Amino acid sequence: MKVPPGVSESDFAKAISEFEDAVGKEWVFTSDEDVALYRDPYSPFLGEPDELVASAAVAPDGVEQVQQVVRTANKYKIPIYPVSTGKNLGYGGAAPVYSGSVVLDLKRMNRVLEVNEENAYALVEPGVSYFDLYRYIQEKGLKLWVDVPDPGWGSPVGNALDRGGGYLMAHLRNHFDSHCGMEVVLANGEIIRTGMGAMPGAKTWQEYKTGFGPWVDGIFSQSNFGVVTKMGFWLMPEPEAYLSGTVYVPKHADLIPLVRILNYLENTRCTNGMPDLGSPLLQIPMVSEIDIWNRGEGPAPPDAELSGLLDKSEAGYSPELEAYAQRKGLTYWSCKLSFYGSPKANEANWEYAKEKFSAIPGAKFVDNESYKLPLTPEQREKVHKPQFGIPSLAMFSIGARSSTNPNPTNGHMWFSPIIPRTGEAIFEANRIFNEAAKEFGIPALRFSLPSTYWERAFIFIFAFPVTRDIETNKKDRAAFKKLVQRAAEHGWGEYRTAPAYQDTIMSTYSYNNHALLHFHETLKDAVDPSGILSAGRYGIWPKHLRKEQA
Amino acid sequence: MASRREFLQMGVAALTLPIAAGGSLPSSISLSNGESSIPLYKMVFDERFAASRAFAKEAERLGVPIHGIKGDMTDLWYHDLYARWKEGPVAIAGMTAHGAIFCLERLAWDQRMRVVFRADHRVLPDGSIEHALSGPASMLRRAGRLSSERNWAEEIASIVTRCPPSRPQPSLANVIGPTVKHADDPDHLISWLIAPVHRG
Repeated sequence: MKVPPGVSESDFAKAISEFEDAVGKEWVFTSDEDVALYRDPYSPFLGEPDELVASAAVAPDGVEQVQQVVRTANKYKIPIYPVSTGKNLGYGGAAPVYSGSVVLDLKRMNRVLEVNEENAYALVEPGVSYFDLYRYIQEKGLKLWVDVPDPGWGSPVGNALDRGGGYLMAHLRNHFDSHCGMEVVLANGEIIRTGMGAMPGAKTWQEYKTGFGPWVDGIFSQSNFGVVTKMGFWLMPEPEAYLSGTVYVPKHADLIPLVRILNYLENTRCTNGMPDLGSPLLQIPMVSEIDIWNRGEGPAPPDAELSGLLDKSEAGYSPELEAYAQRKGLTYWSCKLSFYGSPKANEANWEYAKEKFSAIPGAKFVDNESYKLPLTPEQREKVHKPQFGIPSLAMFSIGARSSTNPNPTNGHMWFSPIIPRTGEAIFEANRIFNEAAKEFGIPALRFSLPSTYWERAFIFIFAFPVTRDIETNKKDRAAFKKLVQRAAEHGWGEYRTAPAYQDTIMSTYSYNNHALLHFHETLKDAVDPSGILSAGRYGIWPKHLRKEQA
Repeated sequence: MASRREFLQMGVAALTLPIAAGGSLPSSISLSNGESSIPLYKMVFDERFAASRAFAKEAERLGVPIHGIKGDMTDLWYHDLYARWKEGPVAIAGMTAHGAIFCLERLAWDQRMRVVFRADHRVLPDGSIEHALSGPASMLRRAGRLSSERNWAEEIASIVTRCPPSRPQPSLANVIGPTVKHADDPDHLISWLIAPVHRG
């Protein structure tokens, strides 16, 4: 049995025994076989001694058991690492940041505590998956949608605390922003409730976020200040109808007004679904088209002339490429808008959007799907399910055929910088990342378009492969860190990352001599003086480990 | 480095961690030769692939219920296994591409089940097929037949129905078989068996 660093074998044995008393012997895992399940399947340290691994795992069934585990951990100074479902692959999975920690596996706390249809909210425990919550709503026949990430096997609590995103209306897509109220077990075992939940008998815990006084919810996300044991979420009332339409614009420079108008339409709530950018000329599918393209129902592959022009283009542009597009009637950019609401309102909003986009010379419009909701089974099979609040694991089924995936890797790490929501920023980021890729010896990027989860900023999401070759992984890790620095030099920070890079990324948030990190550390020392909770998570180390991490 | 959408076009990777030993499996059924094996709730196959269809056909002949998917296992899990596994763990087997078993294995972990047998079938550059098997020795005893067995998928179906109730240290076997790849098969299929584990 592996023992956490700095803990004696006898103390660890006593702690394990107390964990067993708290949660039941069968829910404390110490065998190599059981503990191996908490490995990160996409670890960039595969096959290396530095792989981050747990020493044991404990799975409590309720908040009282969490309190007992935390108190025991405090007593013996055992590092513990809470996870909800541990399925945030590409961002670390269930493996602890501080190797040798005991995973506090909250999967048994999987109760949907309340779903209120009228006011569209839910209160759930951390082990509730998106599938669980979706099923609960379906079985009860409630007219509610859950904003799910893709893939959807994680939990609302874990995804929100990691600040993941989804695909429905703008105010719900940022999963942390759409939470309302938490229950948290602190490092000393004390329970707090945030927002209105701090008032005994509060009637609006899941309806009014901030309560009274400082709003502290944010410090429990991407952090290690407590164990979140309940969390409220706002849901989306099932709309009457869905409508989508796509605008196509002909020229490279049109991306700038396209984004500007899109922002106006989204920020005024004319369009209320997730916008979806693509490029017919550059053969970049919109997110909602990926399944269609993967089924072989996308556009024909580029002809030899276009292939040659694409290869020679710089950051997706050359005058010749643009001339080719005009000659062939291909458009440079596309943007699909989604509308949820009444059929009449959807139609009116789409008409208004067309009017606004018509300011771009040559803009064309295509009316896409128009569904009366709920979807029929046939319609369900055609759509990108998360855009209809349906969790899915379909993305794992892509790539079975060798022609599109000749050299499958062993996973990936997401490099995901946030950039301004402008066309200019898209061009600049492509240029900078392309240059950096060449400089750092990583495969060059084709022109890439950002994702539009967040309503006020774009996010680029790039997959760094994890291979079975240690030297390649070492090289890629070094390149990843350089890329983080290069992004920071241009003012672009990552929104989330795997444990291997959390210190690196936190170090780029360095305004005023890392004053923010120092504040995090001050909080850490105050609320978790023994440093037992998730040491190192998002770059926040407890005092006794700070020096060795420096 | 690929963008997220390029990545979604290429597919999500699945890592194979080694099969671990330990524990024992629950109830068993008796085979005609007197050996006992664990009962299979269903055998899963990918309707898109000829080898997988052959696997299913043999499973049906052996009397095991089958379930077809087309790459995505979400519906199988959501509409079937989710509820069945809530009632209690039951073993399933299959021949699929990597994505389906990658997901099913992780979902099974939460129900106290493990992959106890796995065979990776990879087409080699010369067109032959390498079968890399890991599992109980008694299951692997028949693996030698794969070296000459043109109907390897049927043979694998037979092997996965013979998982012993106890789970000894897993054995490994590597067998190169003749060229039998069907045009619509991918270069890598995986046969697998997920079974309940009682912790010792």
